[in-house]
Amino acid sequence: MSSKVSCDGTSVGAGGCGGAGSSGGGGGGGGSNGPCGACKFLRRKCVPGCIFAPYFDQDQGAAYFAAVHKVFGASNVSKLLLHIPVHKRLDAVVTICYEAQSRLRDPVYGCVSHIFALQQQVMNLQSDLSYLQGHLDGLQIPTPPPPPPPPVQPLVMPPVLSISDLPTSAIVPPTYDLSSLFDPVGQTQWMLQLPHQQTDPCQYGGGATRAPPEMSPSGSGAGGGDDLQELARELLQQHANPTVPCTRAPPLPPDSK
Amino acid sequence: MTSTRCAACKHLRRRCPPDCIFSPYFPSDNPQRFAYVHRIYGASNIAKILQDLPVHIRGEAADSLYYEAHCRMKDPIHGCVGIITLLHQQIYNAQTQLSKIQAEIAVLSAKAQTESHYQHQVEHVPNVDENF
Repeated sequence: MSSKVSCDGTSVGAGGCGGAGSSGGGGGGGGSNGPCGACKFLRRKCVPGCIFAPYFDQDQGAAYFAAVHKVFGASNVSKLLLHIPVHKRLDAVVTICYEAQSRLRDPVYGCVSHIFALQQQVMNLQSDLSYLQGHLDGLQIPTPPPPPPPPVQPLVMPPVLSISDLPTSAIVPPTYDLSSLFDPVGQTQWMLQLPHQQTDPCQYGGGATRAPPEMSPSGSGAGGGDDLQELARELLQQHANPTVPCTRAPPLPPDSK
Repeated sequence: MTSTRCAACKHLRRRCPPDCIFSPYFPSDNPQRFAYVHRIYGASNIAKILQDLPVHIRGEAADSLYYEAHCRMKDPIHGCVGIITLLHQQIYNAQTQLSKIQAEIAVLSAKAQTESHYQHQVEHVPNVDENF
């Protein structure tokens, strides 16, 4: 198998992450104090210009990176980020972290289960819309009372979707702003009654990685939507204050100190 | 040597063993499938994920991994989250439209009820002329 991950960073591309040679541990990392979360997790020297440093701080960053590394591999993520413009990398990191955590939580479907649930919801709403539009059209006709509407169609669950039915591309506007995910006005709209898949988190593998921090403090059935908002909020706050560790710490993994 | 290698082993340029973890899910007639997941996750990570799952659901896992990889290849910045965002927007639009239609129905229904009530009252009021 290809060893995508190399603790000494030799397989990592440009950007200064290849801290080969001297042992890991202290030294000038991407931040002002010590290694970034990624290099701390990988136990390697964090060099200036480390591609991960702006996005994974020393505190929570290591936990987030653990999930990313477990699912994608540090090398793959590094290559991915290198091909993304710098001003878009934070968005990419947020989404990668989300997908990694979803995959750890649900090794079979990952975040695709969330997409399934949303797709079902869209279909249900469209069905309701069609019915109500027909009802409205009937009320608006200024004629003798129309015949009684057809029997109310119960909300029939659409046929089970398969992965091949899911959309594969989204027209995301170039000015897409992930911070809008936790817009307070729109939050109620994001609170979806989703059948959150309860799976044991982080069941596979062991080793040095640890379970990612719990993202949704009280998922009111909103599952993936809340997780993404919380994750986006955390990472955007950290990015906004690169020299200040995240003070509002989400629940830590059990053995994280 | 007749090539009976799966897409993964062809991509990795290695012999495809009889118990290859990839071969049931990455057939040789779809090289893109493995190419995408390999690019995003790496072969070893895919193998670990599949190995830790019961055999009967590995197919679903492979499909979802391919779907996510495909989304990420199409949109390196947002990946699947782009789709999630799109669906959220569709839901929001549909709910807004639904609320609007429900409000219109409520107004029309109330209006129809009022008119019907008024008509009923008019029919049962005694002839006005009799009072003068």
